[in-house]
Amino acid sequence: MAYKPQFYPGSTSVGINRRKHMSGNLEKLRDIPEADVTAIMGHRAPGADYSSTHPPLKEMGEPDCPVRQIVAPTAGAAAGDRVRYSQWTDSMYFAPSTPYWRSYWGAINCKGCDPGTLSGRQIIEARERDIEAYTKTQYDSEMTDVALCSMRGCTVHGHSLRLEENGMQFDMLARTEMGKDGNVYAVKDQVGIPLDKKVNLGKPMTEAEAKKRTTIFRADGVPMCGAVGARKYDEAVEALHHMWELRSKWGFRPE
Amino acid sequence: MAVKHTKKLFIKALNKKFGKDFDLAGQKVEYKRLGPEQNARKREFMEYAKKVEGKRGMTGYNPYVHAGGIPMGQRQLVPYKLSGTEYVVEGDDLHFVNNPAIQQMWDDVRRTIVVGLDMAHEVLQKRLGKEVTPETINNYLEILNHAMPGAAVVQEHMVETHPGLVDDCNVRVFTGDDALADEIDDQYLIDINKMFPAEQAEALKAAIGKTSWQAIHVPTIVVRSCDGGTTSRWSAMQLCMTFIDAYNMCAGEAAVADLAYAAKHAAVLQMSEMLPARRARGPNNPGGLSFGFLADMVQTSRVAAADPVKVSLNVVAAGAALYDQIWLGSYMSGGVGFTQYATAAYTNDILDDFCYYGVDFAVDKFGGFAKAPKTLDLAKELATEVNAYGMEQYELFPTVLEDHFGGSQRASVLAAASAITSAIASGHSQVGLAGWYLSMLLHKEGWGRLGFFGYDLQDQCGPTNVFSYQSDEGAPLELRGANYPNYAMNVGHQGEYAGISSAAHAGRMDAFACNPLIKVCFANPGMVFDWADIRACFGKGGAREFRAAGERSLVMPAV
Repeated sequence: MAYKPQFYPGSTSVGINRRKHMSGNLEKLRDIPEADVTAIMGHRAPGADYSSTHPPLKEMGEPDCPVRQIVAPTAGAAAGDRVRYSQWTDSMYFAPSTPYWRSYWGAINCKGCDPGTLSGRQIIEARERDIEAYTKTQYDSEMTDVALCSMRGCTVHGHSLRLEENGMQFDMLARTEMGKDGNVYAVKDQVGIPLDKKVNLGKPMTEAEAKKRTTIFRADGVPMCGAVGARKYDEAVEALHHMWELRSKWGFRPE
Repeated sequence: MAVKHTKKLFIKALNKKFGKDFDLAGQKVEYKRLGPEQNARKREFMEYAKKVEGKRGMTGYNPYVHAGGIPMGQRQLVPYKLSGTEYVVEGDDLHFVNNPAIQQMWDDVRRTIVVGLDMAHEVLQKRLGKEVTPETINNYLEILNHAMPGAAVVQEHMVETHPGLVDDCNVRVFTGDDALADEIDDQYLIDINKMFPAEQAEALKAAIGKTSWQAIHVPTIVVRSCDGGTTSRWSAMQLCMTFIDAYNMCAGEAAVADLAYAAKHAAVLQMSEMLPARRARGPNNPGGLSFGFLADMVQTSRVAAADPVKVSLNVVAAGAALYDQIWLGSYMSGGVGFTQYATAAYTNDILDDFCYYGVDFAVDKFGGFAKAPKTLDLAKELATEVNAYGMEQYELFPTVLEDHFGGSQRASVLAAASAITSAIASGHSQVGLAGWYLSMLLHKEGWGRLGFFGYDLQDQCGPTNVFSYQSDEGAPLELRGANYPNYAMNVGHQGEYAGISSAAHAGRMDAFACNPLIKVCFANPGMVFDWADIRACFGKGGAREFRAAGERSLVMPAV
């Protein structure tokens, strides 16, 4: 029988969504044009050539290496692209994804990428044309809500702040804005440099939809441990207790 | 049901920060983007910067170069309430550069050394045949309190330090021998019976026994000009000169070498160990300061022994300022942002609320402090409960989350509450540490995020070192310190670890956590910083009510 990864325990919507993110089996919700994703990333002008750090691999005369024979290079690696990044900030108020689940998604599903996970931001670095593709996948999929998530290369503390009155995640650099038509627009790139033209990212999720798609446990959504005085542990907590206990005991007597 | 323990101590602080009419549970707010002008301290900085700019003819502080022209203050710039006190200060007031009390706390550590008297007395009595009596000791202490600040004895035509610049310098002795203590002039004695509650005094005297020790605090201005490594040298020089004077010795006789060896090495207790070359610091610098020593320096345990949470959280505050703001923040990284991490542990009564919730829960269940079994299961139960409670407060009170707007702040506070609860309940620091790491894992699992990269490095592998007996991997928490291999680089941990060390012993009502000499030395009434009420003293510093030592204004033109 072929191995089927389980990815994550639990039967709540949070557990199910976490499994979806990790598996890469994500629903596509929108289609942001590639040129617009490139503009928001801010590394190269849309349509411009890719900068490279080495010649295409085919021209480099690579050594005879069994690993190279097994692993096909990504498009960006084959072309010699420089390594660039995209970094996301996801609000703690029911954004669909969270830093760790963006990283797990990247590590499991994106070849040749380097995810980094912090509390307010999550970065993936990869060869430029590869990261552009990975970023578009994130933008287009249910991992992202355009009001609660945004690309931020810096100044990321909005993740834990109260939302704006219109439901947008706070951003001190105001890189996105809510239009009068109810659509969210990107007006600055990742690091806050104004775009030549606004990019329409579409309508945000309703609060109910965000709660349905989220991967965060919260007391006012899906709680992880029940409530004060009425504790009920999610299966994820039970699995974690087991892991913590074994790690602690192994450290005492590593046999 | 644990609901009865939910005190929400942070609500008062939130009202002070955000204004009493704000919506405690609201998840949305209007961001007015008022910029730095909304904050009194930022306005003061800008006004002062204009003066500086005119005076020196070049630009300096200008918040409008922040983030490409968008200045800080797009959100509300809120003040901070020092936990457990009524002090409310601006965040800037808690940066150690702006806070003379925080500076003095560190100065008090690095200017301190404990030196035994018995070895020197044996040299005098056995090698030189001189008589040592309470009278000679008092005479010696009078001379020593003249010499230690930098005044001359024995030699002629010497330069000396201005008494007004070194008035914080003093030497007192302490002993576990009540009979000897009775004979020492009160002004030169740290009276254990007077400074500590009776049970603690008995325990300390039993631990110290008939030995006698000098609590030496060299002038603050000396260690600010040199460093902590100077303290043993400065002290040893004055000790030797004083012995020569007090006991009419020959300045060049070989026995002086014995006194010098005792004063510099054999009878010396440094406040912290020197560090390996890659960190390149001498003794009496923060990186070598063990958690147990810091726990003992803090004196809350002798004035508020019945409240082990208060005891522990004052240690956390001291450690957060010293290890995070000064050691990691400045010595090690050179950063200026570490204040933001550290203050989460000692402001706005948030950690206090989580800890009191946990300890009340444990006391209810196990019948008192240090009554619970010292087991992994205990850590599992308490850390899971406290961590869950804390996460729920962040979720249900959005301004609590906003106050700790960085995940590292939240991670440290949740783990500290989990660990302090486990340590107080069990009376065991390692059980507390187990609770710390479980909290970290639960936090990450719940929210899908934790702290900065360092938390992944240290806290996800951390359970394996809690009970490790291998010498390069494990040690009792009291003996670990800022240079412990897995702890050496991560802000938001070391102060809390000191607090956990303290919590275990505070729960047991112990007189000290690690070293009785440190505990008594820092009970010296001549300390400049208030070691019994760390957080209030930080508040005084922030409110510009604290006078630090080591100032040079006496010998400079008035501003």
